[in-house]
Parts: sequence; C-alpha cells; structure tokens
Amino acid sequence: MEEALGKALEFSNFTATLNAQKRILHEKYLGDLVIYSNSGKFTVSKELLNFCFMLTSTSINKTVLIDDNRTPIQIDDVKEFMLKATQHYTDATNKYLDEYKILSTKRSVEGLVDV
Amino acid sequence: MSNGVLCFAHNNGKVNYLQQAEELAKRVKQHLNLPTTLVTSTSSELQNPTLFDKVIEIADNNENVKRYYNGTLSHQRLSFKNNDRVKSYELSPYDTTLVLDTDYIICNDVFNNAFNSVHDFQIYRDGVDLCNWRKYAEFEYINDTGIPFYWATCFCFKKTTETKIFFDLLQHLVKNWKHYEQVYNLGSRNFRNDHVFSIAIHMMNGFEDNDWAKILPGKMFYTLDRDIITKIKNNTLTFLLQKEKYNGEYVLASTKDINVHVMNKFSLGELINE
Repeated sequence: MEEALGKALEFSNFTATLNAQKRILHEKYLGDLVIYSNSGKFTVSKELLNFCFMLTSTSINKTVLIDDNRTPIQIDDVKEFMLKATQHYTDATNKYLDEYKILSTKRSVEGLVDV
Repeated sequence: MSNGVLCFAHNNGKVNYLQQAEELAKRVKQHLNLPTTLVTSTSSELQNPTLFDKVIEIADNNENVKRYYNGTLSHQRLSFKNNDRVKSYELSPYDTTLVLDTDYIICNDVFNNAFNSVHDFQIYRDGVDLCNWRKYAEFEYINDTGIPFYWATCFCFKKTTETKIFFDLLQHLVKNWKHYEQVYNLGSRNFRNDHVFSIAIHMMNGFEDNDWAKILPGKMFYTLDRDIITKIKNNTLTFLLQKEKYNGEYVLASTKDINVHVMNKFSLGELINE
C-alpha cells in the first residue's frame, strides 16, 4: 500500500474513534446535568438557573417546578435549590471541559481510549 | 421499606448467564450498596451463591430461540430464556425493586435515585447506542406504524395496586402472545420482553402516547452483539464498535463511569472469566 494512503487510513481510524469518544463524552455530560431533588428529576439548564435566579431576585423563595417527568415538584427553598443546581451545572460542565481537553491532546487511537 | 435488585439468569449451555449475574451482584453492592436477588432455573451451576441476598429457583418454561452474534462475522442460534421477568412483582422480596439484565455493567450510582422517586414505575424509553451511525427505528417504535418502544432491560417498580395491575397485564400478554403479536403487527419477530412491556405500558397509558411509565434516572447506553467488549478495568470499558459498511471492521471506543448494557454475551463472558 502506498504510504500516503496508509497514513490517510490510519488518520481515518483515529478520526472515527475521536468522534465516537466525543459523542460518548457529550452524552455523558447531558446525563451528568441531571439533579435529583425533592423526589423530582431536573435537567439543569440555563433556563432553569435563570428562572430560579429571577425568583430569588424578586424575593420569592417558594415555588413549584415541573420536572423532567412532567411532575410538579414543590420547592420550599428556591435559593438553596438554585445554589445546588448551579454547583451541579458548574461541576458537570467543568468535568466535561477537562475530559474534552484531555481528549484533544491525544494523537493516537490507543491514546483516545486509554488502553 | 426494603430496596433491592432483581435479576433473572438461566444458563442455556453456551452462555453463562449465572456468571454474569454474579458479576452484576458484585457491582450492585459496590456502586448501589443494595442486595441482589437471583431468579434461576439452573442454580446448581452457580459459583458463588453468597453474592446474592436470595436465590429463587423456578421452573424453566422458556421456548424461545434467537440468533446470538459475536461481532459482525459470527453467530449461532441458541435458546433464549427470557419470559420470566413479567413475574417480577410476585417474585421480588423487596418493596421497591430495580430489575436489571445480567449483561448490564454498573459503573456508577445513578440508579440509587430511582429509589427516592415518587413514581411507582420507571423504565427507559430511549437508549444511547455507543455506535454513532446506527439508527434503528425498531428501538423507537415497535414497528413502522406502532406504539413507542420501551426497554425492558432495566426498570424500577414499587409494589402498589397500580403496578400489580401492570404486572398481571404483562402475564396476560405473555399467555396470549400469539394474539397480541398479531394485534400489534409484530409479524414473525422474536419474542421480546421490550415488546410485551411496550404494549402493556401503551394499555396503562389508556391506549395513548402518555406518561404512566416515568423515565429512569441516568441514560441507558448500550452496545449490540455486533460489537465486542474487549476490556473491563474497574469502571472503564473498552469496545470495538461495528464499522459502517465494512463488515468485520470496528471502531475502538471506551467509556468511563457510565452504565452500559452489553449485548455481546460471548465477549462479555470471556472477560468475566479472566
């Protein structure tokens, strides 16, 4: 096989694994964004965080949020919930960034999967 | 209130489901700190019964046969003993039970959240295939004009009047499967718990697309039996994923701290044996 073709095929394998790893990492991140609070299940989004911030900014500290299963969940302390959700969002996103950075430094298929 | 995991395992001469169940019980203890009850018709082949909270012996009434792949190039037809999980309600010794396939590799504690939920029945409607090009419509709806597909791979239920109705319905469906597979236009497909559960949920939903069944915590990642699991190192799993259009070629991939449903029983068995 010509050297150029061999290198291209090797790079092709690398790209395929890189794409697979990136996708798995992103799906994992989406899962990590979920918090379980007051028996409800909430995907922490910028919208959720902003809504909670708006409530606390207007001195409303008690509310009902609709969770991922379309169930209304009573939140007795919005500020506490918001802090928990914000921390969760930050942790998950930082973890995603760290793992993505590590992935970006890898230059071989073996490196990508850490074998 | 008692919580626990229930799994079903019947060896079929070629696939050692009991060994998978033992591995599952170890990981359930490690990550979820929960007891596991095993339901089996082949308990004499267990290596380490002490891993289980209880071992329930039942008669083997299974007659299903299916094609088991081991990667893309090799397969064999074997008996598939899978129609007992509809009895989960009567068999489970727990108030709240998480039912898991034995080939589910637990690598985190996300399922613990299922036990704190207010909902009586939780299951996955969507799964994430680690192989990024495969998009099978059969995992979204049970057929082209059919109802939503649910994965019976894992589900969590509380013992309530409502869930009792659901499990009685499941048994009715299995008993009269020839009828229901015609009604739901499943043709000559293999018997699948996924289909039975999907139909029962559809009925519990009032024959509408509704949300009687809630979604389990976490995501259900899976690999098909066309893929190969090559390494299990603590919570890091390495796979060879089926390559698009190139039969016999694979893409290397790995997961960390993610629960994965591994459908290639042969490669999983080899790794557990190591």
